[in-house]
Amino acid sequence: MGRAEQAVEVCLMAGEQMIKYGAETYRVEDTMRRMAEASGMKHVHSFVTTTGIFLSVQTKDEVDVMQMTRVNERYQDLRKVTEVNQVSREYVFGELDLEDVKKRLQEISKAPMSYPMWLIVLASGTGGAAFSYLIGQSVIDMGPAFLGGIVTMLSLVIFQRHIGGKFFSEFLAAFFGGVTALVLVQLGFGSNIDQVIIGTMIPLVPGIPLTNSVRDLMSGDLVAGVSRGAEAAITSLSIAGGVALALSIFLT
Amino acid sequence: MWLELLLCFIATAAFGIIFNVPLRLVWIGGLIGIIAWFVYAYMPTLQVSPVFSAAIAAFTAAFFGHLLARRLRVPVTTFAIPGIIPLVPGGRAYNTMLSFVEEDYLGGLELGAETLLQAGAIAAGLVFALSLFSMRKGVAERYETKRS
Repeated sequence: MGRAEQAVEVCLMAGEQMIKYGAETYRVEDTMRRMAEASGMKHVHSFVTTTGIFLSVQTKDEVDVMQMTRVNERYQDLRKVTEVNQVSREYVFGELDLEDVKKRLQEISKAPMSYPMWLIVLASGTGGAAFSYLIGQSVIDMGPAFLGGIVTMLSLVIFQRHIGGKFFSEFLAAFFGGVTALVLVQLGFGSNIDQVIIGTMIPLVPGIPLTNSVRDLMSGDLVAGVSRGAEAAITSLSIAGGVALALSIFLT
Repeated sequence: MWLELLLCFIATAAFGIIFNVPLRLVWIGGLIGIIAWFVYAYMPTLQVSPVFSAAIAAFTAAFFGHLLARRLRVPVTTFAIPGIIPLVPGGRAYNTMLSFVEEDYLGGLELGAETLLQAGAIAAGLVFALSLFSMRKGVAERYETKRS
C-alpha cells in the first residue's frame, strides 16, 4: 500500500472515531481535510454523514484516491473525541508522523471508557436526584429519583448488551425506571410522582444527538443534521412510550 | 438558592460523567451549568417569559463553552452538552406525555407546543453563540458577496 493510501486510511480512521463517539459533523470534516492537506494532498473533499464517511483526495503524483468507511455504531464518549482532536492537531503541526498517528488512533480505539460503568450508573442516579430537586424543590423526592436513575441506567446497559437495538433498549429502560419510580412512590417514599419520574428519565435524554443535530443543521450539513435529529426524536419517543406504558399500567 | 446552585453543579457534573467528559474538564462543565441555571431561574423574576429566558440561558452557556473551548483547545461539545442539560424542558415533556395518556389530547397538544418552543429556544441560543464565534467564516451564505 502506497503512502498516499495510507494517509487517506489514517484520515478515515480519525474521522470514524470522531463520528462514532459523538463529534459534530463539521468538526469531523474539518479534521479530515486538515490532516489530508498536512500529508500533502490536493483537492481534498470530505463528506461526512452520521452513518458513513467519504474522503477523496489527489496525491502529489496526480492520482485520485477515494475511500469510504461505514459507521455502524455510535456511542457517547466525549473523551475519545477530545483525544482524537488532540492527535490530529499534533499531526497537522508536524509533531507526529503518520505511523505514530496510526498507533495513537488504534490505542484510543482500544482504550476502555474513561469512567467505570458503576460510576456512570451512580452519576445517573445523582444527576436524576439533583434534577428532580431543580424541578420541584422538594428534598424528599431526591431519594426515589436517585434509585430510579440508577435502575434506568442499569437496565439500559443490560438490555443494550443482551438485546441490542438502541431504541428498544431505551424503551425498556424508561419502562423499568418508570415502574421503579411508581412503586417507590406508592410505598410512601417521595411525595410527588411527577418529579420522581422526571428525575428518573433525565439520564436518558439524547443530549449528544440533539445538540449535534442543531449544530450540523446550522453549519450547513443538512443530511447529517436531519439524520441526527431523527435519531434524537425516536429516542425521545421511545422514552415517552416506556413511561406511558408504566403509567397506564399503574393508573388503571 | 445556594442549595439549588450546588445541586445544579452536581447535576451538570454527573451528566459530564454520563457523557464521558474527561475528568479535568467535568468541573468546568458544572460551572457553565450553574451560570445557565442562574440565568434561566432568575430571568422570569424580571418579567421575562420562560421561553425567552431559556434562549438567553442557552446562549450564555454556549458562549462560555465556546470561550473556554477555544482557550483549552478542546471540542466545544465537551462543555455545551452538559451545560444545557439543566434547561431541558423535562417537566413539560412529561406533562405532555401524561396528558396524552389521560386522553386529554387538546391539553397534550398545548403542552407539546410549549415543550417544542422551549427546545427551539435552547437551539436558538446555541446557534446564536455559534454564529458569534464563527463570524467571518461564512457559514451557509445566500449570496456570493466575496466575489467583486
